[in-house]
Amino acid sequence: MMKGRLSACAFLLVLWAAPIPAQGRQAKVTIIYDDKASEINAANEEAGHLWITTVDLKRATGFELKPQGVCRDELCFPVPSVRQEGFVRKRSGKTWFNLVAFANLVQQPIAQDEGLRTWYFGLRSDQREGLSSLKAPDFMLPDMSGRLHSLSDFRGKKVLLVTWASW
Amino acid sequence: MAQDTNGGKDAGPWITAAHPTYTALIDEKHLVSKLYNMVNVPTGVWIDEHGKIVRPNEVAFVDDRFKNFSGLDSAPYLNALADWAEKGNQSIYAMSEERLREKLTVNNPDIALAAAEFGLGEHLYKSGHLTEAIPHFKEAQRLNPKSWNYKRQAYALSDAMRDYGTTFMDEVEKAGGSKAYYPPPDLSPAGSPRDKKP
Repeated sequence: MMKGRLSACAFLLVLWAAPIPAQGRQAKVTIIYDDKASEINAANEEAGHLWITTVDLKRATGFELKPQGVCRDELCFPVPSVRQEGFVRKRSGKTWFNLVAFANLVQQPIAQDEGLRTWYFGLRSDQREGLSSLKAPDFMLPDMSGRLHSLSDFRGKKVLLVTWASW
Repeated sequence: MAQDTNGGKDAGPWITAAHPTYTALIDEKHLVSKLYNMVNVPTGVWIDEHGKIVRPNEVAFVDDRFKNFSGLDSAPYLNALADWAEKGNQSIYAMSEERLREKLTVNNPDIALAAAEFGLGEHLYKSGHLTEAIPHFKEAQRLNPKSWNYKRQAYALSDAMRDYGTTFMDEVEKAGGSKAYYPPPDLSPAGSPRDKKP
């Protein structure tokens, strides 16, 4: 009888310590999005896809789910309604989002290091196509003192933009 | 814009020594190269008062310190730059939109993926995983073979011969030697000044 109780207690303890995964195995991964690295403690790498909670989605990418789509500020990408389950699902009381499916939707290249569980998400097509408008893509970078400067700060002046390197 | 993965650690001494009177920025993630599809340094872009590109990526030597290596004299480029500074879009060096579009580097899926592989390599290197970074740097070089930035930056972060089986100068020789390494800027009349185009 005692043995049975202990087994039941141990089983409950395991359930408490290891939340039911969305599907497959949960793992800690690193996501680099817009060149910012975020550690995700419970992601689900599954058949080449990466599922993260919508809380982690917001933290790592700034995007969030809204009725009109996946949005950040004024930018919104509608999710195809016929493929909704490939993007969003509910498991373990949480809402999970497939970041790889989203990257495919917005034509965003992905580089992955499987051994170090690190995912790098590159420029989306909307970020890459800016050049074709002939408008100089804006950026913000620091000077030696750490002060940030944007290209758009120089609007009203001619700019010679030159890259160089120490190497 | 210093394209240096190690940021101020590598670029800082050069900036300090130059005492710049212009804005000197540090781009440790090669963001500008990524946004503008640049493949080497020095690369220059002319941008007008409205934020429009007037001349796209081209070799931009502003002095002659590398003239013996490249064979390029900086004077024609500096004269063209002065002409544009004075005349704006009426300068013969300000390209028409048609010509600009011909010369813009089109971003294709391989170039975009190469940038992602390079970015991942940079992140792994900076996280203390040089060994793991090298395959990603190599993949970036394979996907975008025109990018000298991907080669030169990666070589500078490790022992190029040990990790890549080559050196910068070996690659220059393969490309036809140092005099062919930098394509000179095309300073032929840039077509009708923009305002006169139909």
